[in-house]
Amino acid sequence: MKQISCEHETSVIRALRSGEWTTELRLHVAECQDCSQASHLAQALGEEARRAEIHCTPPDPYWILQRSRRMAREIAMWRMTRLLALMRALAAVYVVAAAVWFLHGYAALQYREVASAMHGSASMFALMGAMVAAAFVVAGLWPILRESGERG
Amino acid sequence: MMEDASMIAGWISPGREQTAAGEEGFRRLYEATSRPLWGYLQHASGRPDVADDLLQETYCKFLLSKAPAMDEAQTRSYLFRIATNLLHNRSRSRDDSALEEPAESGAQSDEDARLDVCAAMRQLKPRERELLWLAYVEGMSHAEIAAATGLGAMSIRILLYRARQKASGFLRPQRIKS
Repeated sequence: MKQISCEHETSVIRALRSGEWTTELRLHVAECQDCSQASHLAQALGEEARRAEIHCTPPDPYWILQRSRRMAREIAMWRMTRLLALMRALAAVYVVAAAVWFLHGYAALQYREVASAMHGSASMFALMGAMVAAAFVVAGLWPILRESGERG
Repeated sequence: MMEDASMIAGWISPGREQTAAGEEGFRRLYEATSRPLWGYLQHASGRPDVADDLLQETYCKFLLSKAPAMDEAQTRSYLFRIATNLLHNRSRSRDDSALEEPAESGAQSDEDARLDVCAAMRQLKPRERELLWLAYVEGMSHAEIAAATGLGAMSIRILLYRARQKASGFLRPQRIKS
């Protein structure tokens, strides 16, 4: 593979930053075009960085801490809202599925068959339980849906 | 000098105890890193106002991140990585790669030198500015630059070489003797 830059370049930059030059490295920079170029560019950019640091007035860290706390609260709120939205969607799916199940059941069976099936107390309890659950879900879902509708 | 970054980052997270030691640790970290980071953001983006915004955003993201335990060098590298990602996100969403004209100040020779460097930087692509700054101002190794920029460690050497050649070509001959 063709050598594209001098292997001593990193050492030159390190020496420029620390100020610790060895005689060999100085001699190398004087002879090596790559390292000489890198050294001059690093010096020019270093001067620019020092100027920038003098003129830089970073904001008080207090404001960054305050902003981070606010962002942390917003993230927590977003996660909570996402969970509520998921529960709302699941409740809507449950109501629709229950409604379809009821309608399908009543349409498929004769009324008498349904009534005779209801004689068993276990079936009666199961049906009543499902109806009470559906009533609670609808009661809970209704104000949420109405609020969402009003918000647009 | 710097506190354990994970302790500082954990300090801000909801449900964690917010201690004075964590706040003090963050202040020290900020004092040590905010100016170099601002310089990097300003020269890579070319705009001081963008640097101000992104500096705040970098530290906010750092505080909100669930970073593992890091030493001083890793924390510094991690901050530069966040800053680089924010720069890329910004450049993807809008075209502000052009550097702002530098304000005039200082002696004539210093000013000439400054204008030279600024003019050379203006000619470079944002990625090239980032590489040159991280390598020659921050003194990062190729592996550290790779970690900070998300580029492959093997490609840093050649990209840096090209960026250096390009920048040197734009600087005045008396400043870069080749």
